[in-house]
Formats: sequence, C-alpha cells, structure tokens
Amino acid sequence: MDSGAWPALRVMLHVAFFLGVAFILRHILGMTRAEAARGPQGRPWWLPPLGLVALALPFVAVLAYQASWQLTGVFRPEFVAFMQSHDRREFNPAHLIQRGRILDHTGEVLAYSQEQGGKVSRIYPYGPAFAHAVGYTHPRFGVTGAEAASNIRLNGGAPDNLAAWGELGRHLLTKTKRLRGQDLVLNLDTRLQITALQGLGGRRGAVVMLRPRDGAILVLASAPTFDPNQIGPGLFLGEAPGKPLLNRATQGFYPPGSTFKVVLAAMAVESGFSGTLHCPAEGFTTSKRYPKIRDHEFYTGGRRWAGHGNLDLTTAFAESSNVFFAQLGVRLGHEAMADAAGRFGFDRQVRLYPGADRAGNMSTGRMPHFAAKDQYGVAQASIGQGRVLATPAHMALITAAVANGGLAMRPRLLADEPPAQLGQYMTPATAARVGRMMRKVVTSGTGKGIETPDLAIAGKTGTAENAHGPSHSWFVGFAPAQDPGLAVAVLVEHGGYGSATAAPIARDLLVQARDLGVIR
Amino acid sequence: MPPDLAQAWALRRPERVLLLWCLLCMAIGFALVLGSVHAEGRTLTGNDLLPLLSYALALVGVHLFLVLTRFRGDQLLVGAVAFLAGFGLLAQYRLGAFNGQDGLALYLFPGGVLVMLLAIGAFMGGRYRVLGSWPWVWGGLSLVLVAVLLVTGQRFRGGVYAAGLITPTEALKISVILFLTGYLARYGQALGDWGRRLYVPLPPWRPLWPLAAFWVTLTGLLLAQRDLGMVVILSLTLLVLLTAGTRRIGYLVYGLLAAGGLGYLVIEVFEHGQRRIEAWQDPFEDPTGDGWQILQGLSGMYSGGLWGEGFGQGSPGYTPIAGSDFVYSVVGEELGFVGCVLVLLFFLVIFARGLRIARHAADRTGMLLAGGVTAVLATQTFLNVGGVTKLVPLTGITLPFISHGGASLLTAFTALGLLLAVSDTATNSPRKSAQTQAGPRPKAKPRARTRAPAPAPVPLVDEPPDETEAGAVPHAAPKPAPRRKRAPKRAPAPEADGPD
Repeated sequence: MDSGAWPALRVMLHVAFFLGVAFILRHILGMTRAEAARGPQGRPWWLPPLGLVALALPFVAVLAYQASWQLTGVFRPEFVAFMQSHDRREFNPAHLIQRGRILDHTGEVLAYSQEQGGKVSRIYPYGPAFAHAVGYTHPRFGVTGAEAASNIRLNGGAPDNLAAWGELGRHLLTKTKRLRGQDLVLNLDTRLQITALQGLGGRRGAVVMLRPRDGAILVLASAPTFDPNQIGPGLFLGEAPGKPLLNRATQGFYPPGSTFKVVLAAMAVESGFSGTLHCPAEGFTTSKRYPKIRDHEFYTGGRRWAGHGNLDLTTAFAESSNVFFAQLGVRLGHEAMADAAGRFGFDRQVRLYPGADRAGNMSTGRMPHFAAKDQYGVAQASIGQGRVLATPAHMALITAAVANGGLAMRPRLLADEPPAQLGQYMTPATAARVGRMMRKVVTSGTGKGIETPDLAIAGKTGTAENAHGPSHSWFVGFAPAQDPGLAVAVLVEHGGYGSATAAPIARDLLVQARDLGVIR
Repeated sequence: MPPDLAQAWALRRPERVLLLWCLLCMAIGFALVLGSVHAEGRTLTGNDLLPLLSYALALVGVHLFLVLTRFRGDQLLVGAVAFLAGFGLLAQYRLGAFNGQDGLALYLFPGGVLVMLLAIGAFMGGRYRVLGSWPWVWGGLSLVLVAVLLVTGQRFRGGVYAAGLITPTEALKISVILFLTGYLARYGQALGDWGRRLYVPLPPWRPLWPLAAFWVTLTGLLLAQRDLGMVVILSLTLLVLLTAGTRRIGYLVYGLLAAGGLGYLVIEVFEHGQRRIEAWQDPFEDPTGDGWQILQGLSGMYSGGLWGEGFGQGSPGYTPIAGSDFVYSVVGEELGFVGCVLVLLFFLVIFARGLRIARHAADRTGMLLAGGVTAVLATQTFLNVGGVTKLVPLTGITLPFISHGGASLLTAFTALGLLLAVSDTATNSPRKSAQTQAGPRPKAKPRARTRAPAPAPVPLVDEPPDETEAGAVPHAAPKPAPRRKRAPKRAPAPEADGPD
C-alpha cells in the first residue's frame, strides 16, 4: 500500500466505521418500531419502559462524567499537569497546551513553561523569592498560590475573546489546536520583593506591602522560603527547618504587640476620649493577683525611672506607653474590644485571588471574646499581647486603611482584578488623626531612628513578647504621610525591638519604592 | 405448526441483515488496524486475517443454527451481541491478544459462540424450566466452588485466582442466577406475604431465612477472597430478582439500606478496598502509584477526544491491564467519546431486550432467569465502565463480551444463551403482574380473572405439558383447545410456581 495515501484512507475508514455502526443502530430502531406495531397497542414505540429508563440512567451518568474528563479535561488543572508530565502519548493534546506565563506589574517573568523533549516543565526564574505568592505547579504535589488560583486561565480554559473561544473549541473537538494559555500579570514588584527578602536576611519573618488606594499587593514575602523549581517530598514531610511551606505573611499568627495600639487609638478617638491618664512607673494592673503591665523603658538604664506621669493619647502613642493603653483599653471595656474585632475584620478569611481555595486566602487576626469580668485580658489585649493575634497581612491592611481615610481596600494580587472595598475600618477624621499620631512616632517617638529627610514616613513600632524566645520585631507604616502611596507591615520573628530591626527594613523598602517611582 | 425451512429462513431475515452489517463494520475495523500495523512497517501475513475469518464463520454458524432449529427468539439481541463480540475481538486483536504464542485466544471467541449455541439448543422451547427445578443444587455448587477456590487458589493483585490466573468465580454469575430463579419460582409467593409489626412492614421470615443464610455464607466467602465486585453484582441481582419475583419493593428498599451499611463496613475493614477507594477519591494524591492506572486510562481517553484517531492509532500500551479491565478506555482513546457512546448504546440494546424478554416470558421461571441475566450483565457493565471513568471505585470487573478473559467471555456467552432460550417461547404481550398469577394476597383488590387468550405463537418444539393449575386461581377464561397433542404452552395459563 502506498503509505502516502494511508492517512486519507485511514480517515475514510474511520468515518465508514462510524457510519456502519450508526446504520446498525438505525436498523435496530426500525425493528423495535415494527415490533411495537405488531404487539398490543398502548405505549408509543418511542417511549421506553420505566425499567429501561432506570437502567439507562447510570450509563448516562457515566457518559456525562466521562465527558468531563475526555472532552473538557482542560478544565481540570491537576489532570492537565499529570498528562503533561506523565503521559507519553505524543499525540495527547495536553502537550499542546502552552501554559501562560506569570509576570509582575513591570513585565518581569516570574514563571514560564518550557517544553523539552515533549515534556513540559515549569520554570521559576527567581526561585524561592516568590514561592508563596506565585506558588508552584507540580504533577505530584499539586498547585498552589497564583498558579492554583488562575490555573484554568493559565491553561487557556478561560477565553476572554471570540478568537480564544474558537481556539478552545477546536482544541476540545479536534484536539489539533495548540492551546495557548493567557499570561497572568500580578501586582507584585520584583525589585521590592527581593529587597524585602534581603532585609529579612535569613531571619524568619514576613513583609507585606500594599497600595492603600486600591489594595494592590506589591510585596508578599515570607521567610524561610523554598525553591519552587525543586519540589521534593522532604518539603512536605517537615524535614526542612522553619516550616518554609507556611506563608507567614498571610497565615502566620503573631501577637501584634504595640502595633495593635493603632487599633486602640482609633477606637479611643472614635469614643471621644480626650485628656490624660496617669501612668505610674510601677505599672498598671486590674487586680493584685496579676503582674503589673509596665512600660519597658522602666528597666533600661539601670536607674530608677520616674514614669511618664500624665500622658495624652498622642504622646502615649508616640512613646508606646503600655501603662497608658492598658488603662485605656480597660476604660473602653470588653464591648469595645468586641466592636473592634468586628470593625477591623478580625477572625475572617480574605481572598487574595479570585477563585482561590482556603490556602490562597489571607487570614486576618484572632480576637477572643472577653468576658465582662476579664479586665486583665482586655488590658493585655490593648497592648497587643495575651490572646489577641494578627497576621502581618492583616496589620498591613489596617495600616493601609489608616492611610486611605479609614477605608480598607481588598488586597489583591491579580492586576486585572478591579479594586474593591473591604470595609470602613474608621471614620476619615479618625484616620487623619491616627495618621498624624503615626507620623509623630517617626518624627519624635519610638520610630525616630528611621526618620529620613526627604520621605515623610508614618508608622508604629511593635515589640511583641512571646513564649518561644526573644520578642518579635514589628513595624507598620505608610509613606508619604501627607499623601500615602504605600503601606507596609514588617515582622521579624524574635527580632527584638521593633524600632531596631523591623523599622529599618520598612524604611529601606519605602525609600526604594520612592526611588523607583512606585510612590508618585 | 413447525414452519418449514424456507419459512424459518424468511422469518430471520432482519437478523441476517444485522449480522451482515456487523460483519461489514468489523471488516472496516480490521482494515483500519491492519492498515496502521502495515504503516508502522510490519509485514502482514494471511494469519492476520484469521480473527476476522473466525468472526465471519461464527456469525454464519449462529445464523444457520438458529434457522435450522426453527428458533423463534429475539433477533435484535443476536445482532447486538454479534456487534459487541466483534468489537471485542477487534479490540483484543488491536491490543495484541493474538500475537502470543498460545493459539488459545483465537479459539476463545468461537468457543464462546459455541457455548451460547449449546445453551440455546439445550434450553429453548421452554426446556429452561428444568434449570429452576433444583435450586439447592445450584446453591450448593456455588458455595463449593467459592470454598474450593478459597482453599486452593493463589493470590495475585489482591485477589484470589485459580491456577493460570483464571477466575472460576465467573461461573457464579450463572449458578447464582439459576439458584435464585429456582428458589424464587418456588417460594416467590410466600416471600411476597409481608407482615407488619409496630407499623413497620416486615418480610416473612420463614421462607427468607434459607436464602439469607446462603447469602451470608456466599458473601462471606467472596469477601474473604476480596472479590468485592462479584459481591456487588450478585447482591444487586438478588435484590432485583427478589423484588421482581415477589412484587415487593420493600426488598429493594431494605436491601439497599443493608447494602449501604455493609458497604461502609467492608470498606472500613478491607485494606485492599480502602486503597482502591483512596485512589478513586483522589488519584492525584499518588499519581505515580495508586492513581497511575486510572489516570493513564483517563489520559488516553482525553487523547482520544470526541472522535479518536481510529483503531490502531492510539497508544493503549501505556495503560496497565488495558486489555481486560481497562478496555473501555482503549475504546475512548481510539474511537473517542462517540465510540464510547456507540458501545454503550449496544449494551443498552442488550439490556432493553433482556428486560423485554423478562416481561414477555412465558412463565415465572423464564421471567426470573431473563431478569437475572440482564441484572448481572448490566451491573457488570456499569461497574466496569464506571470504574474506568472514575465515577465509581475500581472493582476489577471485566466488560462483558469485550474484555480479554476466557472465563468472563464464556460466562457472558452462556448467560446470553440462556436469555435467548427464554426468548424462544416468549409471548407477544407483556406478562400480567405476578400478583394476579400468584393468587390473591390479603388486601389485594379483587380483579377480573378473565384473561384474553393472547395470540400466542404456536410452540415449535416438544415440551412437557406441565400445566399444573395453581389451585388458588380460578381460571375463568376458556383455555384454547389443543390443536394437536402438544399443549399450547404459550397461552397465558397460570404456570407452575413449584409444587404447591
């Protein structure tokens, strides 16, 4: 046989086979009809008996389910990933799918697919830097992060114009069309992300940077991290130290320490608090049974300290007086704490990508419910200790709300997702007042070490005591103070004073962002 | 009046047309396979045409046999099975089942056809009633078979097999149907007599307990062999036949409830089943291990898409055990979704004919036998096809007529032979409900006892006159006078429901 004619002949035979089968079925139908005409009248010939319908239903279910794999398998991302790496059939159309790239907002490539010898592999040029935000796709270990959230789109299963629909249709029907997935643009900024990780410098911690105006996430860094190019079982068996799979920025719960005073200050302003509170050197407690809450400066210098005396809100905030805020919290009461939990979005999941599963969400904080009698608990929570917890992303969100006139925008990673409001955390007037207080922290308070002449940074330091070792170092802030362009939260696990460790990282980031023109 | 040969020949013309078309389709299929083999560079020999030749000879043989015996049974069924069997032959040939050294594979299909013809010849003309006479013989045989296999069998892939990896438990599908048929023909009436305690309807215990004891023993033995698929097939058949034989939907309801509970227990207890369940629920958990087979099968189907590339064009070799359990995925790979739909349509034709034969069967035994065969084949098909497409967990069940496997093929052909034998004496109108025939039940509305004598075809073969009157039923309609010595068995007389 002439081998050149074979492909055409093959198609003809294929069609002829189907036609023959169809003819047999038609013949059978005709015979059924004739038989029904001969038998007793009553039921029309085309109406199958109930028993047959009941019997056919399971098979219809099989076909329907089968179609969800056989025809529209492209909508099953794990399946596509499996076929791309494990199916040796060269004609499998999954090999024709060109998974889209993932880019940052400047067009820097964060992930792309490479075909080599019929096998498709995913490359992450920046390796560990974006492991949590971009995620990874792996046939065995699944898909996470942005890769998971926009999986179908990256595989070309979510066409956005008529031509793309036609392409998808031809891919589904004839399996000949090379399906090209859409590129995904994230709001992340590669340069800032790398600066953030360098700032953490091998310490465990997290950095989150948002644009308060629209919620765009520019930095989402968590350390330690892992290399998405080299995923192995050891990573999942807990062999790696420091749980690198944990996204500390969105899922790490920490006592917020003094950064929580931002929340309390806003509550105090809104409740109409004015005047001063006496802050004795020996500290404050609600009952003799509990240790006194003191200002940590008490211990410094080795000599006896006279205490702050009478403090007003702004000064107490700038000096981060624990005694003041513990008293303030007790005055506001446990109901105010419950109110704050609701208004500032504690105990919630906020999605960072559209269609993300739970792992792609960010957790906010955890605010326990305080009983009326539990005044000491309220006092502890007022200075961000005790049972109140927050993720770095949540603290960044609260800071961004202060910078945006009290309005929190939904944090979002995908550039083409429209901005959306998340909630009004405080009134614009309160936000302006708290913003001025935060500016004073940097000009004359605990954060004055990071004051830079040409960028007005506002912020709040935090030093969170914890049961596992030295204090966690926090800094939340935004810049420029008058017209905030970026908000940032930095956490360094066991980093010591917030002013010493976290605050400089935040300053470097904000200054670089200004230099890069990200802050206009 | 037995028609002469010319009449019989004319009567089976539709079947002849069907068989010829089947042959044509298979010839096209073989051309496709041989062409792609040739295109790959292998030289073809005359031996490569042997399977097609055996298929053609088998079809001719079947048709001539049915004409010569004046068989009056279902013609559609013969055609549908001829197609599926030919399709299976094609698939097996394509998968290289005939490349092996043993020539056994070549004889398997004609052997299956021969067994089917033997069953038809032996039990047509109403002679199948003999099969329902000694239920406990079949019941005992079933238990002995499973027990012997349990003692002497060898373990392979988590199941128990006899020497040479054949699965003698396949024969259970026949023997258990025969047991149930006999048992229900005898005790169906008693089993339909439900009582009530505390407003809960309860089945009669006295006629039920031997059946229950048999079932517990059989299920226990099968579960000891990890043969979950067989348990499901047989249990579902039991429930269907119990319900059909007694007209009591309660058996189905209670049975499904019990099956749900038991199924949960079994899955909890058996590790083999558990691993399959896990691979079923999330094959991506371990894609290169437990999930490999099902995912490779699905990958192949995805490659096939809507139409497939044609027989011989796929690479089914990447799916483990493609020839037996996963043959459906090969169909999906090479003929696409459309091919799968066509194959399932033919299966549905078989089941529809089976249901019709059961509905129109001349007597209770025939109804139960046909219903049992249909239930077994339908359940088996569903478990296989559903397993391969990941709709239900894999049970290691073959696809009737298509999968590679001697025992499975022979069983399917035997069952089909029985079904055809029943169809030989089927009437032209549906049976009246078992209720009226089984005599009045308490609370049943009195019905008109007159039954119009249906225009029954004249019996073609000698049959024993077993017109034992069910005493409870007054027979008002005049029986059609016997035209000859042979009684018109086909007339809707109350048939023997066992010795009352």
